[in-house]
Amino acid sequence: MAGEPGELLQGTLEMMVLKTLSLEPMHGWGVAQRIQQMSNDVFLVTQGSLYPALIRMKRRGWLTTSWRVTENSRRARYYELTVAGRKQLGLEQASWLRASAAVNWVMNARLVPDGGRA
Amino acid sequence: MSVLTDLIERVRSIIFRRRDERELAEELAFHTAMETEKLERRGLSPAEARRQTSLALGGMERVKDDVRDARGTRFLHDGQRDMAFAIRTLMRNPGFAAVAILTLAVGIGGTTAVYSAVDAVLLQPLPYQQPGQLVRLYYTDTRRKEERGVVTPVHFLDYRQSMGAFSSIAALFLYSESGADIGTGADVRRIRILPVSADYFDVVRVQPSIGRPFSRDEESDASVVVLSHALWKDKFGGDPSAVGKSLIMNGRSYTVAGVMPDGFADPLAGAVDAWVPGDLRPGRDPNEAGNHYLSVIARLRPDVTIPRAQAELDQLGATLAQRYPNARYAGARLDPLKEDIVGDSSKPLEIMLGAVAMVLVLICVNLANLLLVRGTDRAREFALRSALGAERRRLVRQTLIESLTLALAGDVAGIIVAYFAMKAIVAIGAGSIPRLSTLELEPRLLVFSLVIASLSALGFGLWPALRAARTQPGDILREQGRSATSGGVQMRLRQWLVVSQVALAFVLLVGAGLLIASFQRIRQVPLGVRPEGVLAFELHLPEARYDSTARARFYETVAERIAALPGVAAAGGVSKLPATGDFNIWGTQALTGPLANLDRGNIAGQNRVVSGRYFAAVGIPLLDGRLFDEHDDASAPRRVIISRAAAERMFPGVRAVGQSLTTGGGPREIVGVVADVALDPQGRSGEGYVYHPHRQFAGDRNWSLVQVVRTTGSLEQLQGEVRRLIASLDPQLVMYKPMALTEAIGRGEAQRVFTLRLLTTFAAVALGLAALGLFGVLSYGVRLRRREFGIRMALGANGGSIRRMVLREGMVVTAIGVALGLLGAVALSRVLASLVFGVSTLDPRVLASAAVFMALVAGFAAYLPAHRATSVEPSSVLQ
Repeated sequence: MAGEPGELLQGTLEMMVLKTLSLEPMHGWGVAQRIQQMSNDVFLVTQGSLYPALIRMKRRGWLTTSWRVTENSRRARYYELTVAGRKQLGLEQASWLRASAAVNWVMNARLVPDGGRA
Repeated sequence: MSVLTDLIERVRSIIFRRRDERELAEELAFHTAMETEKLERRGLSPAEARRQTSLALGGMERVKDDVRDARGTRFLHDGQRDMAFAIRTLMRNPGFAAVAILTLAVGIGGTTAVYSAVDAVLLQPLPYQQPGQLVRLYYTDTRRKEERGVVTPVHFLDYRQSMGAFSSIAALFLYSESGADIGTGADVRRIRILPVSADYFDVVRVQPSIGRPFSRDEESDASVVVLSHALWKDKFGGDPSAVGKSLIMNGRSYTVAGVMPDGFADPLAGAVDAWVPGDLRPGRDPNEAGNHYLSVIARLRPDVTIPRAQAELDQLGATLAQRYPNARYAGARLDPLKEDIVGDSSKPLEIMLGAVAMVLVLICVNLANLLLVRGTDRAREFALRSALGAERRRLVRQTLIESLTLALAGDVAGIIVAYFAMKAIVAIGAGSIPRLSTLELEPRLLVFSLVIASLSALGFGLWPALRAARTQPGDILREQGRSATSGGVQMRLRQWLVVSQVALAFVLLVGAGLLIASFQRIRQVPLGVRPEGVLAFELHLPEARYDSTARARFYETVAERIAALPGVAAAGGVSKLPATGDFNIWGTQALTGPLANLDRGNIAGQNRVVSGRYFAAVGIPLLDGRLFDEHDDASAPRRVIISRAAAERMFPGVRAVGQSLTTGGGPREIVGVVADVALDPQGRSGEGYVYHPHRQFAGDRNWSLVQVVRTTGSLEQLQGEVRRLIASLDPQLVMYKPMALTEAIGRGEAQRVFTLRLLTTFAAVALGLAALGLFGVLSYGVRLRRREFGIRMALGANGGSIRRMVLREGMVVTAIGVALGLLGAVALSRVLASLVFGVSTLDPRVLASAAVFMALVAGFAAYLPAHRATSVEPSSVLQ
């Protein structure tokens, strides 16, 4: 594992879950694995934060659930994005890009003798 | 997010909670299994893989809690847990729980029962369509409009013909409302029949469910009958073809005209088995314009108000006064029927409602007291739990749920108490409070009691809970129980609560005391008769087998034969028992003496028909002249005996014996004067009595004389002997409604008995609650001050002085409470005035006894804590 797993903001976790599920419907463990892999093991998603987040998103109508059988024939609950969920992913992605760009600007700022900004 | 989706999801998770829980468990198990497998694939042993997984994933229960939180149903899980916890906590202190639940049960039960009584009698309209249109019509003195009397048939017929304000009007022959014998031989039994005019069923707007009502042609003693549903079931097995068949009543055959629907109840009479047409033929009565005996009800046209109808009635009255100059008055007045029926019983019931409200307040105060003590007791527990990390919100909720659990238990117990209390109220009030028999527990009232319970629980649970939440845990834990200061403010508050309890209990005590004093006063009212040791029963002779001559002979024979029984002093019969109300008020005019044929010589005579040795049997002494004997028969000149009041009114200054008067359709000679008799148990006196010998008056109508028998022995034994005697004379006769004369006369005061019993019960409950409150506060104070007492005793104080200290504290609280209660009693004296008889509402004896009684009970309640205070072992509290 490379470094300490990062603390996740709640909104960020939800966005990543939405992103993961936008690729294909998946069960909870799968979502956690996929995020861990995709973040190069930076984010370790625990049950304690994943399942409440899934339930909350379902309550908001972004996800639907169904019980299916996995490839190694176990019964698991699969989560799938709804149209509203897809729309939400778009919104969150856009605001994330804006916010992270802004954070980057701030973090890259340097002092200029005239008091102006680069 | 959509609010709607959210709501649906929440509701869904509430409904499918069990399934959700199962699925969540399965989902988490799947997660764990996948994780373990992953680690195993990396080469770990299965055991090590499981260990690492569970380390990495954290506590399963915690995750479940978080998921439930996200679902929005966590409050349910916690609620369930809190409830179980609350029950466990309550079980740990069963004394507290029992007292609290009992308090609630008495409060809810009592309130519900009395509320339903008030509801059934006062609040519910009459069980007829458009009950607001129904009125009672009374004849009245045009100069004294508050007078209410029954109506003459001549006036009634004129009202029926001329009054445009009435859509219908009917007369009830309540005077002749009597029994009839049905069946034959050993099967004979007595039923209640009520003669009514033809439009009776129109006025109440309830028609026979099969058959037809009476027609006006039948108001001539026609032999038709309308059956009650019960009698129809009983005699005809509920056969619809009963209409047109015949029913033998009093040996006479009646044709069944109709059957009333199940549940029909007469507005002015109770438990009628059959209705027959009343005889309204003009000229039937020799003294008709002066002969009042009809009870009249009417239905107003929809657009007519009572004042408008009254105006028309007044106008008609003026015409009637000219048409019938021999009528005493031609005035009439209208009262709303409901008011007329509820009448006097509304006041006691309203007072009852007030008493119930007071008891309810007392109960709430007791509950508050209990919960306050408990709140203080548990302050440390809460502080500890809060210091250990429990959420404040959770603690408040915990306390609330505990109170709610108490309330629910109290409610269930309260409903049970209500059920039995209601049975008791019906039993106590039966016969004296109209429509009380319709009383039953209603779903509305259950809701009412639930609301009371929940509100009191919330109110009194919330305060200690909030206080517990506000407290800084450190403060309480630091106290270590060494100082009693935290209890100080609360102690004062609780003392004031007890003061209010004492005050309320005192007011109720005064109310009960006033009633008891009134009761004694009524008992002392001279009635003019000696009712003790007298058996009374009705004896009806069917006209088909007994003509007037036979009736005259039979009643005398029965009196003679009964008088011959061992222990019997005298026996006789009368058309209306003494002191049981007005009856046959006929215009009575002096024909001789100073007021001969003058208006001033005319009185409203209370006419009674007597047989046997009636005067001796009930204890009315002869003052002048002689009593009736066997020579006063149909062949002799008509004779009467009058009461002293009648003699003084009609023949002032002269001897009444030997004078003559006219009443009941002709001149009569006065042969005797007897002592006065009150008209009711309160001692009301009328204008005077006129007694007729039954031998001479049997032909007027079938008088169905009530028999009275004075004995020196037991009434029960006498009843059996008389029953056998009557059976030997005529096996088909029924000894109807036998009872002690004291009981028959007591009927009039039954309403007061009803109020008295309820109010004394409430006063006792209130007293108990106040004593309980005082006991609680003092015991708690003693507990708080254990150290103080210990120190005092270590320093040499003796037990007596400490006991006195506690007792004094209790007495101070009681004294303040009694003083406040006194003010309350003064403020309420106007309300209580309607309850009392011959006693001032501020009767010093009653007030003093109530105060002494209160002080005694308070002393008793204070003694135990005072005693306990002296049992403190100094060494045990000072260590």
